[in-house]
Amino acid sequence: MELTHYLLLAAALFSLGLYGVASRPNAVGLLASIELMANAVNLNLVAFSRFQGQQTGQIFALFATAITVAEVVVGLALVIVLFRSRGDVRLDLAKELKG
Amino acid sequence: MMNLGPLTIDLILCGLTFGVLSVDLALPHGRKRALGYLTAVLLAGLFVVSFFIDVSGSALSGAYQGDAWVLFFKRFALVAGVFVSLGAVDYVDRHFPTRQGEFWVLMLFTLLGMTLLPGARDLLLLIVCFELMGLPLVVLASFAKSEDKTGPGQFAPEAGLKLYLVSSVSTAITLYGVSIIYGLSGTTKLAELGGVGVSPMLFVGLAFALAGMGFKIGAVPFHMWVPDTYQGTSTPFVSFLSVAPKATGFAALAAVLILGFAHQKAAWAPLVLFVLVTSIFFGNLFALAQKDLKRLLAYSGIAQVGYMMIGLLTADAYGMGMLLFYIAGYLVTNMGAFLVLHAVAPNRSTITLDDVRGLSRRSPRLALALLLFLLSLAGIPFVVGFWAKLYVFMAAYRAGYTWLVLYGALMAIVALFYYLQIAKAAYMEEPTDAEPIRVDGSLDAVVMACMALVVVMGLYPSPFLQGAMAAARALFG
Repeated sequence: MELTHYLLLAAALFSLGLYGVASRPNAVGLLASIELMANAVNLNLVAFSRFQGQQTGQIFALFATAITVAEVVVGLALVIVLFRSRGDVRLDLAKELKG
Repeated sequence: MMNLGPLTIDLILCGLTFGVLSVDLALPHGRKRALGYLTAVLLAGLFVVSFFIDVSGSALSGAYQGDAWVLFFKRFALVAGVFVSLGAVDYVDRHFPTRQGEFWVLMLFTLLGMTLLPGARDLLLLIVCFELMGLPLVVLASFAKSEDKTGPGQFAPEAGLKLYLVSSVSTAITLYGVSIIYGLSGTTKLAELGGVGVSPMLFVGLAFALAGMGFKIGAVPFHMWVPDTYQGTSTPFVSFLSVAPKATGFAALAAVLILGFAHQKAAWAPLVLFVLVTSIFFGNLFALAQKDLKRLLAYSGIAQVGYMMIGLLTADAYGMGMLLFYIAGYLVTNMGAFLVLHAVAPNRSTITLDDVRGLSRRSPRLALALLLFLLSLAGIPFVVGFWAKLYVFMAAYRAGYTWLVLYGALMAIVALFYYLQIAKAAYMEEPTDAEPIRVDGSLDAVVMACMALVVVMGLYPSPFLQGAMAAARALFG
């Protein structure tokens, strides 16, 4: 396995996540897509770190995971708020704000 | 013993945050309004303290640096915090009487992110600070929840979710870019990043990192969330959201582009130029068509960010100094403008031209303040916005972008149209509701303070300019 393989896998994961963010109508699916993007980043960081023989990237990945977890907590809380206020978490219906 | 001197202000702020949290626990229901005033007093006190302590030097094994540049942003965040606490205290007390403590603690946490970030000299710390700033902002944006289906909380869940999605996707994009930058240079220290050569891979990494930060400052083509979020969330919070995170976003951009990749300017200057030109163009164009005043100011803010980016494009001490002056002027102008809108319609999140119609008869003081803020946003002489625009144009001219000066001036004339439309409604049209406006005392005081600063900085810009220049020179060592 070469570094390029890992980077390509990470790029594919990231693109899938980005596609999910753009196309998913459901808020929970959207959160999962964002998670996919975050994991692509972690894969990148750990792969670079491994192939350069130093630990900085792995430590960075730990922090990135913690950040993502904090983000998902806030995201799920928001989804609950949205569900309580309209009984649905479909985002294509959340279009009251425009102009 | 670790040297934590450069972090003094941030550590005090962190202590104050937990202090406010404890006071919240001790206060009985019905008396929690005091928390807003307490927050304002503590932040104002810290602002005064910042003039008497030395926070220069390096800390955390070189991951943190304190100097005049960093101190500028710390003071900026503290002033924005004081203004928003005084401006929002009445709103928070009326709409969330039992949850006031949470509101102010979240506000203090986001301020902590803002004071910490400009000093970060390591990509890891930079990202963590960005999130410390960003996550509380998301919670604050949707703070009204769904308690009142017709009041200011009507659109809060949707506005909050939009801000959240943009914020988390942009974080993921920034992180992806940063991971590539780390992979190429093998380090996360900003000072050592510049050793890599220009390659397509570096271009990709920089483009992703810039795109993520572009989301945060709300520049075209990453601006879609700005008008929706501004329209949907409470007006006093928007006054803060429209100013303070942008300044921090510029600090982060400056850290990556100028401290990290100054030698690779050829790789990132075209990206910055593209974002800047499209922001000025589309911000002004879309603002023309808006009926909702908060959406209008949102688009005008996108255009203003475009003007600020001129300083970044020049990437020299003069240009960055002018960027700082611009953003300091923008703080008092834009916060003031949003707070006037809040004073006019304190119980709604949607504010239209009808609300300010005939304002001069309902409240001559608010009308005068609104007029001055609009003139400043438009860049008319003798208010701060004029000098701000003039000096960024001078920076552009010095850096050889003469066409940019002409373009910027032309677009400023377009902007004049929609700013003066509001002023005309306030002064020359009949009010739809002739009742005089009653304004909460502290909100009134903040609006007057902003108005005074807009005039003072317009008439005597030189001390502020010198301060901004000194701060910018510190960035270039």
